Amino acid sequence: MELYEAMVIISPELEKDGHEEVINGLSATITKNEGTVSTILDWRKRRLAYEIDKKYLEGHYYLVYFSGKGTIIPEIEHYFRVTDTVVRYMVVRTDEQEFEAAAKKAAGEAAAAEKAAAEEAAPKEEAAGDAASVETVETAEPAATPETGEPVEGQDQEEKSKEPESAPEQAEEEKPAGE
Amino acid sequence: MRRDRGRKPKKKICSYCVEKIDNVDYKQYEKLKRFVTERGKVLPRRISGNCAKHQRQLTRAIKKARIMALLPFSME
Ligand SMILES: [Zn+2]
Repeated sequence: MELYEAMVIISPELEKDGHEEVINGLSATITKNEGTVSTILDWRKRRLAYEIDKKYLEGHYYLVYFSGKGTIIPEIEHYFRVTDTVVRYMVVRTDEQEFEAAAKKAAGEAAAAEKAAAEEAAPKEEAAGDAASVETVETAEPAATPETGEPVEGQDQEEKSKEPESAPEQAEEEKPAGE
Repeated sequence: MRRDRGRKPKKKICSYCVEKIDNVDYKQYEKLKRFVTERGKVLPRRISGNCAKHQRQLTRAIKKARIMALLPFSME
């Protein structure tokens, strides 16, 4: 059994339901191949450092932590390849430490989301007419970029077409083969 | 006073060692940005001051971050 981390970029055009479908499909693929999903983290919408496929300037990132045998990897990569809303993906080997950190983060985010939902449900009347008091609760993200989550309006960038096509879609050889 | 043309042969220290980081994480790309030039190239060890082990990890982390569009590829 190995521990893995899959990072996936899902098309920003896709609705939230669509994201869940992709992630659920991944989970199903993992389970079907005798793997176990440990943690799923929504890593939010981010601006891409370069344009992908001549159309994506941003993407919605997810991190999926799972354990399984090495033979699971081709199955997962196949799933990513046939899912056309997946803009890019990478699977790397990881360790217990990362697994724990991810689980902790997921628990923290779940708690924050619950709190936000409760706050939204409760003071509806007071908030009415006093827009200034309404605050959206954002969970803290230390690694976040300043531009995280900001919707990009200007889709059209002049065709620079300087995208390094050398980027492999997946990085099997990138797996740190055990220090 | 010795003349040294403004170059101080200061001993550099590895910031990953200082922060006691075992593995350089490609997901912490904001931190990785400190170790790439404006053109996106990896800073050499003699400039970054990283130890050999962390520099190796850093190079790998930067490669992963580039693949996942978290960092740009270097432009010539
Ligand atoms: Zn070091």
